[in-house]
Amino acid sequence: MKRKYRLITAALILFIAGTVFAQEKFIDVREDMAKNLTQVKKLAGESKWEEAKAALLTAKDIWNNEVKTLILEDQNKEKRFSEYFNRMNEIETNLENVSVPLKGEDVVEIEKSVNAAIWSISHHPAGFNVPSREYTVGDWIFGLSIGFGTIILAIFFGLYLRRSFYKRYAKAGVKIERRGK
Amino acid sequence: MIYDLIILAVYMALIMLAGLMFSKNVKNTSDYFLAARSIPWFWIMGSVWATNIGFLHGYLAHGGASYEWGLVQANFEWFQGPVGYILSGVIFISFYWRVGIFTVSEFLERRYGPHIRLIYTLAWLFIFLVTVAAELYLGGLFLKHILNIPFWPTVLVLTAVVGTYTFLGGLGAAVMVEFLQFIIMMLGTMPLLFIVLNKVGGFAGIKEVLLNQWHVSPEYLTVMPGLLHPYGPGAWIILGLCLVTTIGWCSGHQSMVQRNLGARTNYDAKFGYVMGSIPKTMGAFLYMVPMIAAPIIFAQNGIFVEKADAAYGKLILSLLPVGMLGVFLAGLVSAGLSSIGSVLNSGSTMIVKDIYERFLVKGKPDSHYFFVGRIATIGLIIASLLLVPIVTKVALIMWLEQTLLAMTLGPFMGILILGIFWRRINNAGGLAGFLGGGIFAVVLNQVIGVKVVFMISWWSFVVSTVLAIAVSLLTKKPPAEKVDGLTWESDFKSNVGVVTGQRAENNGIKVTSVPLRKKVPVYLSIRLWATIILVTQIVLLMFFG
Repeated sequence: MKRKYRLITAALILFIAGTVFAQEKFIDVREDMAKNLTQVKKLAGESKWEEAKAALLTAKDIWNNEVKTLILEDQNKEKRFSEYFNRMNEIETNLENVSVPLKGEDVVEIEKSVNAAIWSISHHPAGFNVPSREYTVGDWIFGLSIGFGTIILAIFFGLYLRRSFYKRYAKAGVKIERRGK
Repeated sequence: MIYDLIILAVYMALIMLAGLMFSKNVKNTSDYFLAARSIPWFWIMGSVWATNIGFLHGYLAHGGASYEWGLVQANFEWFQGPVGYILSGVIFISFYWRVGIFTVSEFLERRYGPHIRLIYTLAWLFIFLVTVAAELYLGGLFLKHILNIPFWPTVLVLTAVVGTYTFLGGLGAAVMVEFLQFIIMMLGTMPLLFIVLNKVGGFAGIKEVLLNQWHVSPEYLTVMPGLLHPYGPGAWIILGLCLVTTIGWCSGHQSMVQRNLGARTNYDAKFGYVMGSIPKTMGAFLYMVPMIAAPIIFAQNGIFVEKADAAYGKLILSLLPVGMLGVFLAGLVSAGLSSIGSVLNSGSTMIVKDIYERFLVKGKPDSHYFFVGRIATIGLIIASLLLVPIVTKVALIMWLEQTLLAMTLGPFMGILILGIFWRRINNAGGLAGFLGGGIFAVVLNQVIGVKVVFMISWWSFVVSTVLAIAVSLLTKKPPAEKVDGLTWESDFKSNVGVVTGQRAENNGIKVTSVPLRKKVPVYLSIRLWATIILVTQIVLLMFFG
């Protein structure tokens, strides 16, 4: 019996650890990419151009070999991967855009392009894409009916309570005890 | 960074010390679970807010959800503050206080019988476990990112600090520590708002970048969303969030209610809750408005954000200077600890009063239940720690908790309102309404696939109410002696003192003061403050709507 429980516990731990690990990996690889891109900014600011180029190459490698692979493998399995799948072109363009000012050694443009690249691999608010739609006449009628309905119900309920209260306590012989008496 | 860590460590040591000091006076279950009914209104004000706002409800998860969905999230603060706190304080809390109960489940049993008490308690204990696990996960994740310290040791330290003073001091220690935490939270976290608004050029600047330059959906900056919003249209926010979830949360969540049940008078219970709505309303400015500006700051500064729940940490790390970050972290950790502490205390109260004493071991001396209360606290801590790895799987933690709440609070509100205001409702009606509403909510979410939580809470409330009325009318009327003292009418003004005194004494609670204060100064008038707060709410909704 004890063995059975141990096996179940081990299976549960493995299951939880497996799923947590898969999620963490997608975060970790993107974070690694972002760190390398931040290094590009920092090294460019210190005029270490070769090292900055190397950091950019590392970021691109991580993108091509790890982040992109995970997105392509899992975008059908989990909804959250589709956010990045839809932005793949934008991410690749942004990464390429960093190379141009890096060649020209333009620190201000490097900063801007790196920031854009990091933002494109970040999680964007889902609320940015919520479709906006005006209410139809039917919606207004439905909403107002519920709204006014609730108010009318509350008024009638309040009146019922009031009536019920006075009816109960106005009865002869009903003694209302007061504190201290 | 080391200075910030030192400030945080010193703060945590002080809080633990304060908790230990406050725990000296705890001698029996009344002290442990209801702080001997001695809490004044200003402690309740700070404590209910500190209880309500934590890593999950507030800074991290609600901050994360604000980043994800925008200003619509502010409804949680702007409706729950004025509507939830004021209505619950004036109507429901005042009523519970007069009845003289330890837990909300206890009231449900008196009104509807033992089955409903057990079901309700188990549902809340499950929510409590998820809540503590989520709080610990969010806190650990946050401190890991900010201070670069490992996740699990951080979670264990947080648990040890909050567990110690809750374990030893019960409600009294929790409330007193929460009041200190309330002040630290306010002072420590407020500067972020001004720094953020200064960076992005105020609310006009946020609008300019998001709407005109980035062309994001206008729904992101709207309090009342349109038909296609995942939160549901504004109607569901008013019906589901405002009328059901917020009032249900404020009058059904044991942690919130328990602070008021420990009040020294009925007036303190009501006024404390009404005044608590002021910091609650301000909460939107502490962690919601800054998060709406966060995408602009992240994009402009090249800050990587892996998921919405981590956004708040990234924002403060990128904006706050050394020293100020430490104070901010102290405020934030206060929020998390106070919420975890209050849930642990309430959870142990429910385990002892609603399950152990009621169904398992009856008639033991008070010291026995006092001891079991402390063991229950440890049990809750361990169970929550075991749940942490599962909670990490959730994409946006706030939604998990809101879905569970919608399934519980809708049916609860249905039978609570009927139970208090309608003498005709009976045990069968209450049970049918609660179970039917709950099952309907689960079917709506899991089978039909409705994800709009406020729609779930509203319809489960409606179904529960209709079922409860129908079954009650088809079955026997409850005997008058069973209902007397448990409905609004029977406690109405005239006999309040007698009922409270008898019921409180039956529960071993010493009534230390008269339940109603006859005259209070104008500046402490509940009506005056409730009016000011409601008018402020309307102005806020008009400005941001």
